[in-house]
Amino acid sequence: MIRYFARRAGHGFLMLFGVSILLFLLFQTAPGDFLSEIKMNSQISPETITMLRAQYGLDQPLPVRYWQWLKSSARGDFGYSFAYNTPASTLLWPRASNTLLLSVPALLISWLIAVPLGVLAAGWKGRWADRLFSGGTSALLALPDVLIALLALLVALKTGMFPVGGMTSINAQDQSTWAWLRDLGWHMLLPVAALVVGSLTIILRHVRASVIEVLESSYMRAAEGHGLPRFKLLFGYALPAAANPLISLFGLSVAMLLSVSLLIEVVMSWPGIGPLLLEAILARDLFVVIGAVMLSTVFLIAGNLLGDVLLYAFDPRIRRQA
Amino acid sequence: MTSGNLGLPKPEPLLRVSALSVDYDAAGGDAVRAVRNLDLEIAGGESVGVLGESGSGKSSLALALMRLLPKNARVASGSIEFHGQSVLGLSPARLRELRGGEVALISQEPALALNPVLSLGKQLADLLVAHAKLARQQVNVRCTEMLRHVGFTDPERILGAYPHELSGGQRQRVAIAQALICRPNLLIADEPLSALDVATQAEILDLLQRLKRDLGLAMLFITHNAGALASLADNIVVMREGETVARGPMGELQATRDDYVQGILFPEKSLANAAHTAPSIESCAPLLEVRGLSKRFVQKRMLSRKEFVVQSLDGIDLSLSAGSTVAVLGRSGSGKSTLARCIAGFETADAGEILLDGNLITTAEKNKGGVLPPVQMIFQDAATSLNPRFTAQQIVTEPLEIARWKTEAERTSRALKLMEEVGLDPDWALRLAGEFSGGQRQRLALARALAAEPKLLIMDEALSGLDMPLQAQMVRLLMDLQSRHGLTYLYISHDLNFISLFAQEVVVMDAGRIVERTTPEKLGQSVHPATRELVEAGERLHAPGVEAAV
Repeated sequence: MIRYFARRAGHGFLMLFGVSILLFLLFQTAPGDFLSEIKMNSQISPETITMLRAQYGLDQPLPVRYWQWLKSSARGDFGYSFAYNTPASTLLWPRASNTLLLSVPALLISWLIAVPLGVLAAGWKGRWADRLFSGGTSALLALPDVLIALLALLVALKTGMFPVGGMTSINAQDQSTWAWLRDLGWHMLLPVAALVVGSLTIILRHVRASVIEVLESSYMRAAEGHGLPRFKLLFGYALPAAANPLISLFGLSVAMLLSVSLLIEVVMSWPGIGPLLLEAILARDLFVVIGAVMLSTVFLIAGNLLGDVLLYAFDPRIRRQA
Repeated sequence: MTSGNLGLPKPEPLLRVSALSVDYDAAGGDAVRAVRNLDLEIAGGESVGVLGESGSGKSSLALALMRLLPKNARVASGSIEFHGQSVLGLSPARLRELRGGEVALISQEPALALNPVLSLGKQLADLLVAHAKLARQQVNVRCTEMLRHVGFTDPERILGAYPHELSGGQRQRVAIAQALICRPNLLIADEPLSALDVATQAEILDLLQRLKRDLGLAMLFITHNAGALASLADNIVVMREGETVARGPMGELQATRDDYVQGILFPEKSLANAAHTAPSIESCAPLLEVRGLSKRFVQKRMLSRKEFVVQSLDGIDLSLSAGSTVAVLGRSGSGKSTLARCIAGFETADAGEILLDGNLITTAEKNKGGVLPPVQMIFQDAATSLNPRFTAQQIVTEPLEIARWKTEAERTSRALKLMEEVGLDPDWALRLAGEFSGGQRQRLALARALAAEPKLLIMDEALSGLDMPLQAQMVRLLMDLQSRHGLTYLYISHDLNFISLFAQEVVVMDAGRIVERTTPEKLGQSVHPATRELVEAGERLHAPGVEAAV
C-alpha cells in the first residue's frame, strides 16, 4: 500500500519537473522580458540595461537559468522577484495560504452539498423535484464565473451587509484574535459562496448521473428485491458503487476550483495568488509567474493524490491491484 | 398441485396468480403485452417451473411478482396473492418486508447481483438487519451458517471477501445465500444457470435441490432449458409470447403433441432428421493444421519485477479436414478461446505453427486488395461484437470494403443475398444492429463472417448466449450452410449441446492441453476426469429422453 502511494507521489514529482521545464521554454518563446519596458525609456542608457540584464541573470542561456532556478528552489527561494526585489517565496507563501483559505472551505462545502443532493435527485429521477433540480443546475451552469463574482459584489453593495472585497477590515490589526477571526470569516463569506455556486453545479450533475447509472444496474435491482430500505439503497449501496468516477472528479475539481478561485480573487480583491499572478504576468516578473503556476500545480497534484487515497479506501478492486 | 393428496382438503396455496397481464409501453404510445392472462398456483414446498424461449414473458412474470417491473411496464390486469394477501395493493413498508423476507428473487445475472464495492459479509448482514432485529453476534452466526449451507467450507473468508475475488459459481452461491438468509417461503429463480459454465450449472442445480428439500422451500424456477426442470419441478408451465401454452408435470408434457412444447423440451429432436445428412468426411489433405502451438501470458506491472505467468496453450496439435466440423470442449479458462484467437490471428503464438492449406498463416499476405481473408470468427456475444449504430447492411459489407472487394453495388447485392441465406429478411438491411433480437444478431454475425467466403469458420461459444430453441435453429442453419458451401467449422463450446449432431471429431481441452481426442459417439465412454465432468454435467441438465431423440 505504501509502495502504491510512493509510486503515485513519485509520478507527481516527475510531473512538477515537467511543468517547470515547460514553463521555462514557454517564457523563452514569449516576446520581451522584465526589462523591455525600461528599454523604451530614452533616459536609461543601453549600458545600464546590459548591466541590469547581467545582474538579473537574463543574459545567461536557458539551461543555466533553469539550473540557477533549481538551486534557488532547493534553498526555498524559488527565484527572485524583479519587481519586488525579494525572493519569490516571500511573496508566494502568504498569497498561497490566502488562496487555500478560500478554496479548501469552498471545496468541502461544494462536495458536502453536492453528494447528498445529487444522490437524492438520482433517486427522484423523472419526478418534478428532479426536473426542477436539473433545470436549476443547467441555469447555474450557464452563468459565467465572473458574473457570479460580480453578482456577489452587487449583493454586498446593495445590501451593505457584507464587505465589498478585501480580506480584512482596515482596523483589523487592533482587534482581539476572536474579533479578527470573525472579521475574516465575514470577508470570506461572499467569495466562498461565489466559488461554491460556481463549482457546485458540475459536481452535482456528475453525482446525479453516476448514481443514476448505478441505480439501473442489476445489483441494485437485486438489492431492491431483497427489501432493503430506500435510504440504505441510495446511500449505502448506490453511492459507494458510484463513487469511483466521482473520486476521480474530486481531483479534477481541485483544479477547477483553483482556476475559478484565481478569477474570483481578482474580481473581489482577495489577496490570493490570483491578483499576484495577474500582476506578475503583466510585469513579466518571470520567477513569480513560474512560482505561482508551480504552486497551482502542487495543489492540483495534492488534490489528485488525495483522490487516489480516497479511491484506495473506497474501492476494493483498486486495493487489490495496489 | 402435487398429485395424491389422499382426500385431504386442498391446502390454501402460498402464491396464487390469476389472470395476470403485464404491459410494456412501446414507441408511439402503444402497449406491448408481455404476459397474458396467466394463472399460476404454488403450494408451500412445491416447485413450479416456467419454461419458455426468450421473449415469452417469463422474466416479466418474475419481476411482476416482486413488483420490480421497470418504469415503462405495469400490471394491466389480474391479481397476485401471497398467503391470501394481495401483493399489488401492499404499502411500501409491507412490500419491503415481503421482498427478501418472505419471497426472494435470484435474478437473471446472479453474478452481477452483488454490489462490487461492498464486502459480501456486509451485503449478507444488511439483509438480516433489514428484516429482523438481531444482535451483531447473531447476525454473524446466521451469515456463517447460511454460507455453510450453500456449500462454502470457509465462510469466514467469504464474509470478508469482495465479489471480484470469487468465481462465477461462488458468486452464484453467495447470491443464493443472500436470497435465503431471511428464510423466505418462496424463492423465485429467474434463469439462475444461464450465465454459468455447464459444470457449475450442475453444481448449482444440485444445491438448489438440496436447499429446497432441507428448508421446505417453495420455488418458481424460470428457465429456457427444459433439462434443468426435469429433476427439480413438480409442475411446469410452458409460456409462449406471454401466453400459457401447456402445463403439467414433465412426463405429461413430454407426451403432448404441441410443436412448440416439443421444440422447447427436445430442442435437439428437431434436428434429428438433418443429422444423417451431415457429411462424413474422409478427405485427404487437411485444411488447417496446428503443430505444437504454445502461448503464455505474462502479467507484469510497472516498477515491479514480479511476473505472473499463465500458460494458456501448451503444445497444441490439431488438424481439420476440409468440410468437417471439429468441436473443442472445455471449462472456462481451459485455453480454448486462446486457441481460436491464435488461429484467427488475434494473438501471436509463442511457439508452434499454424498451416492453412499448407501455407503458414503468419506468412500469409494481409489486406491485399481484392483478396478475402480465409478464416473468419463468430463471437459469443453478438450484442457486443456488432456495432449497434451500424445498419445490417454496413455490418455485412464491412469485411468486403476492407478487402476492397469489387464495387459498392456488388457488395450491397451480396450483403442482401447473404442476409437471405442466414434467414434474415433483406428488407431489414437498413435497420440498425441494435434493433435486432439476440438470435437475429447472431445470424447477422454469421452473414458477416460468410461475406468473406471463408474456408474456415471459427465459432467461439457462438451459440452459448442463445436459448435452446434458437440454438437448435442456428445449428440447423450452420449444417445447411456447410453442405452448401463446403465450409469447415471449428466449434468451441463449454457444453455438449448438439455436439453429437454436427461434429465429426471432439477435442477436450484442460489447462492449455488437449487431454482427449474422440468422436461424439464415444464421448460418453471417456474415462478422463475433464471429459467426465463435462459429460456428467451435460447429462444432469438434459431432460430424460433427449439422448434417445438424437
